[in-house]
Amino acid sequence: MNEALNILTRGFVRENPVTKMLLGLCPVLAVTTSAVNGLGMGLATTFVLLGSNIVISLTAKVIPDTVRIPAFVLVIATFVTIVDLLIKAYSPELNQALGIFIPLIVVNCMILGRAEAFASRNGIWYSVIDAVGMGIGFTLALFVLSAFREVLGSGTIFNMPLVGEDASTILVFALPPGAFAGLGLIIAGLNALEKKKGGK
Amino acid sequence: MRPIITLTIVGLIAAALLATVEDLTREPIALAKAEMKRKAIEEIFPFGIDSLKNVETPKTKFYEAYDKKGVLKGIAVESATTLGYSGKIEILLGVSPEKKIFDYKVVYHLETPGLGDKIDKPKYKEQFRGRALEGTVWKVKKDGGEIDELTAATISSRAVTDAVERGLKYINEQYPNSEGK
Repeated sequence: MNEALNILTRGFVRENPVTKMLLGLCPVLAVTTSAVNGLGMGLATTFVLLGSNIVISLTAKVIPDTVRIPAFVLVIATFVTIVDLLIKAYSPELNQALGIFIPLIVVNCMILGRAEAFASRNGIWYSVIDAVGMGIGFTLALFVLSAFREVLGSGTIFNMPLVGEDASTILVFALPPGAFAGLGLIIAGLNALEKKKGGK
Repeated sequence: MRPIITLTIVGLIAAALLATVEDLTREPIALAKAEMKRKAIEEIFPFGIDSLKNVETPKTKFYEAYDKKGVLKGIAVESATTLGYSGKIEILLGVSPEKKIFDYKVVYHLETPGLGDKIDKPKYKEQFRGRALEGTVWKVKKDGGEIDELTAATISSRAVTDAVERGLKYINEQYPNSEGK
């Protein structure tokens, strides 16, 4: 049970896919312009990760090593397409915001990374926990970055204004350079915290 | 031989699964799209709609909104421009039977979040209310027109002005009498 807890929580901060492993940065940088987008992308990615981890942990033994990667990519692409269709059908608002980024989950190397490094070597139970933990970590990182950017760049949070409409905001945070800067600041902050802890 | 067979089986299962999901979601997706359009039309008119009539021409689509007595209350038109900062912008423009603008709604765009996407904010759209094709110079102020441009988003402002003007022209072509029909 301790092992399970360890697998679950390490994705939160200690081995966070975004701030520690720097994986899947394309969606992280591209969609984090508003908190809603960040959360939506995080949850969609978590769902795909969960599905791919389950299928891959179950089938890893019967898939020969030579075609492992193509088979994984196929599995992941299938799940992404399913998510894409479901969002289009049941949440058109989210589709408008995330539409063009959903297919990009296919090339999110975090998912392939977890498939390779974890799910293909572990049983289904641990793989599910790993997917949930990493998914929460990924969603958390996206949410923090997108909330940060939305507040500074647009002066709103969850589309609700925090400052008057005429107040000037730090526009650069709404633009791509702001994504890099914001992510850098968050990683620096986390590293500083860790150093402090380690120094005790 | 084994890798080929495995990969084929994986591919077959994936294809079967996708075909099933596509089949199940085809109808909800079409419904969701129609619902989005309906909502957009309701948003741009300041009154409730009792019945809606779709009119399709080769160029665009019109939606005529009638009240309970069958009196024409407003016309919506689909318009688009390719002058956007990141390509195409599609809007739905609503006008009164006298062809004065009620409001418009951006239904598709790829403008910069936080800058260009303000073309869909009520604060910006307000200035279009009541304007008609005649009597307005359909250009942003920077280009000598009458429409305010957004700070740091002149291109998006120009584009949406163009889309609105196009929409008004479509309506003029379709409904040449000023009272509609």
